[in-house]
Amino acid sequence: MAMRPIKLMGHERSLTQVKYNREGDLLFSVAKDNAASIWFSSNGERLGTLEGHQGVIWSIDVDPETNLCATGGGDLAIKLWKVETGQCVFTWESPSPVRRVAFSSDGKRLLAIADQVMGHIGTISVYDLKTNESDFNNQDIKPSLIIETDQNNSKSNVANFTQDGKFIISGLDNGYVNKYDSNTGELIQSIQAHGIHTEEKNISITDIQFAPEDKSYFITSSKDKTATLIDVESFEILKVYKADAPMNTAAITPVKDFVILGGGQEARNVTTTAESQGKFEARFYHKIFEEEIGRVKGHFGPLNTVAVHPNGAGYASGGEDGFIRVHEFEKSYFDFLFDAERSEKAAASGNI
Amino acid sequence: MSTAIGSWADAGDEFSAPPEIIVNPDGTKTVITFRTNQDGKKVKITQKIREIKVEEKVHPLVALRKNWKKYGKEKNSPPGPDTSTTQLGEKVELKLGLSWKQVEKKEEEEKAQERASKIAVQTIKCRTCGGDHYTAKCPFKDTLGVSTETNQTTPEPSSTQDSSSSQPGRYVPRHLRPDAQGNVQSKEARDDSSTLRISQLNSFVDEDMIRNELLARFGPLQRVTVVRNKESGESRGFAYVTFATEEIAQKALDLLNGKGYHSLILHLEWSKKKKT
Repeated sequence: MAMRPIKLMGHERSLTQVKYNREGDLLFSVAKDNAASIWFSSNGERLGTLEGHQGVIWSIDVDPETNLCATGGGDLAIKLWKVETGQCVFTWESPSPVRRVAFSSDGKRLLAIADQVMGHIGTISVYDLKTNESDFNNQDIKPSLIIETDQNNSKSNVANFTQDGKFIISGLDNGYVNKYDSNTGELIQSIQAHGIHTEEKNISITDIQFAPEDKSYFITSSKDKTATLIDVESFEILKVYKADAPMNTAAITPVKDFVILGGGQEARNVTTTAESQGKFEARFYHKIFEEEIGRVKGHFGPLNTVAVHPNGAGYASGGEDGFIRVHEFEKSYFDFLFDAERSEKAAASGNI
Repeated sequence: MSTAIGSWADAGDEFSAPPEIIVNPDGTKTVITFRTNQDGKKVKITQKIREIKVEEKVHPLVALRKNWKKYGKEKNSPPGPDTSTTQLGEKVELKLGLSWKQVEKKEEEEKAQERASKIAVQTIKCRTCGGDHYTAKCPFKDTLGVSTETNQTTPEPSSTQDSSSSQPGRYVPRHLRPDAQGNVQSKEARDDSSTLRISQLNSFVDEDMIRNELLARFGPLQRVTVVRNKESGESRGFAYVTFATEEIAQKALDLLNGKGYHSLILHLEWSKKKKT
C-alpha cells in the first residue's frame, strides 16, 4: 500500500516530541527551536505557534479536554498554555532543564522531570493544577510532590502517570523502569527493562508510551536497540522488540496489535553514513508475535518521536531532520493478519 | 487540503469559454468545456460528474476547535494549510508481512542492477561495433572485429600494446603483416571450422577449376588455395577450401569424398581435426 504523508515543515530544528490530543484532531509538536506548533492533523494546517520559550523545548503534553497544554524546555521553564488562544497562562521555574512534562489522565496534575545536570539531582515534580479557566494563571508555584530519581546515580529520562493517577512510571538512564506512588513519592517497584537483551553499552530509556485503550501496560524504547512491553500491575516484561539501531521512541497502536518503533543511528554519526544505512525508518512490529512486519521510509534523519492517532487511523513521526510526517493508514493496514490470527479467526467463525 | 495544494495544476489551462453544464435525468451532470491543448489545438472535453455528499460526524469539541482563530506565527494567515509549512510528501510504501525484508532486499537488488546496467551503458563501448558490450564479447567479432581493430590501432601505435605488428622499428614477418584489407593472417585468427582439405587432385587442377567446376554448386567459396611447390609452381596435389558455412562444407565432404575427378579419386577431409 502506498501512503501519501503530509509533511509539516514548521520547525527549524530537530523535533523532540509530537503528541495528539484525545480526539486526535490536533497534533502538538515541539523541537529544538523555541516555538511549539499546533496542527490540525487532518489537513496539516497549523493552528498556531506557542511563543515564549528561550531555547530548546524538550517536551509537550495536552490535557484531556484540550484546554491546556504544557511545555518544558532547556530554558528552565515549564509553561502552561491555553490551546484555544496560544496564550501562555503560567510559567514555573525549574531548577534544571525540563526533559519531560505529562498531564495525569484527569488533567488535574502535571509532572515535570528536571534533568540531573548543573549540580541538580534529577527530580520528578508533580504540580496540582487549578483547572478553572479563571484560575489558569493563578497556579501554585510550589510542586505538591518532588521525587528524587537519583537511584544508583542514574537519572530519570521519561515519565508518565498511570490511568488511575496512583502511580508514576519512569524510565531511567540505566535501563531501569521505576514505579512510584504519585501521592507519597515512594518507590514501589523497579525492573531492569533494558541492557539485558543486547550487549549495547548505552541502555538509556528514551520514551515511554501507554497502551491507548486502558493504559494497563506501556512500551519503553531504549538506546540499547530494543523496546519492551511492560505490564503496569505486575510490572513484568511482557514482550521485547529487537531492532538494529538505537531506538528513540515507541508507540502502541490502537485497533491493530502493532507497535511502532522509531530511531536510527545517533544524530552525531548521521553525517558519516548514507541515508540508506542510517536506518531512519519507522518500524512496525506485531505486538504479540514480536516480529517486525514492515517499515516506513521518509525521514532523512533518525526518528526522535512517534505518536499514534487515538483512533488508530494514522501516525505522526518527528525526525532529527526537522520534519514531521503525518501518515494515514490505508485499508491493507487494517486487513493485515498473521497466519496464526487468520486461522484462529477462521476457526472461530467455523465453530459459530 | 488537496484542493488548496492541487489547484495550481488546473491554473495553467486557459479556458476560452464558460463550461456548458447539462443536468441529466439520472442526477448526473455533463460538463462540456473547450480548451487549447499543448499543440495549440482546440479540444472539446466532456466530463460526466456525479456529486456525492459525504456526511462526516465529528466530536462537537473537534467541530468547535475547527473554528478557532489562528495565533502565533499563523496569526494573519488565511484559512487552509500554508504551503510553506505543509506539503504533501512523496508516496511511501508500507508492506506488512513477515517477508518484507526479502521483498525490500529484492527491490534494492533490482535497483542496484539497474544502476549497474546504466553505468555499463555509459562506460562500456565495443570498439568493433560501438555497442554497449565488451569488445571481446562482440557478436560481430569474427566479421568486423579484426579489421576495425587494426585499422584503428595503426594510426596511433602508442596506444596499442595488444598488437605486436604495429610496434614501430620491429620486424614483422610477412605472414603476420596485415594484407590489403587489413586482415592479419594469423593461424589463431583464422577460422578453419568450415575448411576442407582436398587431396588426390590432378596436378593441372588450379583454383579456378575448383571454384567453377568442382565446387561450383557449393559456392560461394570464401577461400580456395592450391598448395604448390615453391620453386616450380607445380601443384602438389592438394588444396584448402573454405566454405561459407560448416554445413555446406559437410555436404561437400559427404558428396565428393571418394568420387573421381580428372582421373583421380578425391579424398576430402576437415583441414583441422574437429573438436568433439
